[in-house]
Amino acid sequence: MLYGLLRKFTGRKPSKDTAKKRLQFALVYDKLEIKDTTLTDLQNDIVDVISKYFEIDKSSLQLEIKRDKDVSALVFNTPILCAKRMRT
Amino acid sequence: MEGKIIVVTSGKGGVGKTTATASIGAALALEGNRVAVIDMDIGLRNLDVVLGLENRIVFNIVDVVNKRCKLTQAAIRDRRIENLFLIPASQSDNKDVLTTAGVERAAKILKKEFDYILMDSPAGIEKGFENSIVSASEAIVICTPDVSSVRDADRVIGLLYARSITPKIIVNRIVPQMVAKGDMLSHEDVMEVLSVELAGLVPMDEQVVIATNMGMPLVMQNNSKAGQAFRRIAKRLNGETDLPIQVPTHKTGMWNKLSQKLGFKK
Repeated sequence: MLYGLLRKFTGRKPSKDTAKKRLQFALVYDKLEIKDTTLTDLQNDIVDVISKYFEIDKSSLQLEIKRDKDVSALVFNTPILCAKRMRT
Repeated sequence: MEGKIIVVTSGKGGVGKTTATASIGAALALEGNRVAVIDMDIGLRNLDVVLGLENRIVFNIVDVVNKRCKLTQAAIRDRRIENLFLIPASQSDNKDVLTTAGVERAAKILKKEFDYILMDSPAGIEKGFENSIVSASEAIVICTPDVSSVRDADRVIGLLYARSITPKIIVNRIVPQMVAKGDMLSHEDVMEVLSVELAGLVPMDEQVVIATNMGMPLVMQNNSKAGQAFRRIAKRLNGETDLPIQVPTHKTGMWNKLSQKLGFKK
């Protein structure tokens, strides 16, 4: 049978190509997904670390993931009240 | 020498895990190995009916793990194929009744008794799946050439790698005519997306339905294309690694060959 030839004339794309492309995209996005608790856990850990060195306003901090076309970025915003004095 | 525990899994349900477990298990036994096939789908057992052994169940895997019986009491010997044994799942228990520690303990005994132990994992990635893979050293992931099955296979492959098990994949229910038309993912497409080693390719086969109706192991039917494919998979697992993987094909006519030559088709 001449499916290949027929397709050349009619210009219909094989449906499996669509399937493959959709699949590849789905897998990439699946891997970018994170658990609900991950962001809050991360936020708590970051606050702990920063609090060792700075006084920060814990109520007004923000943590978010910004997704652009090409890259995903983790953005953490916090007002610093003052630096802690280190003993050493 | 200790036996090998191989888990058969897929993530998605209904892609042929149980048929594959029964067929590969039977084929490994036909090769002269002592084989146990174990149904890990607690509460929804099916390996027994696929093998036609549902009338002979006394004890089950939960009894073995919880030490209510000896391994030899629970293992049902197949009368048609020498050295093939089934340990069925429990149908009445809750699916959370098994613990990974319990399964690991039972696995140690199993490895002493058998050359190959095939674990038929339930669908999903919850506790039943965890129990099935906890003692496995090898894994076979079954998928069919469709987006949902391949996506789930990818997830399961990731989980297996996280436990240092390198999986191999079987692409099941290939319809060569549709692949030729470009309306079904070819095994190359699936391999490219998943990038794991191939264990074998199994064509869509009506004989699977008939064999399951009768409760006959598929690999005993010589006219079954899928059965033959599973026999080859078993041989490769059993050490005949130079046995080539056969790609399912449909009858190739003159036009087909011509269009291949002309480069319209791969």
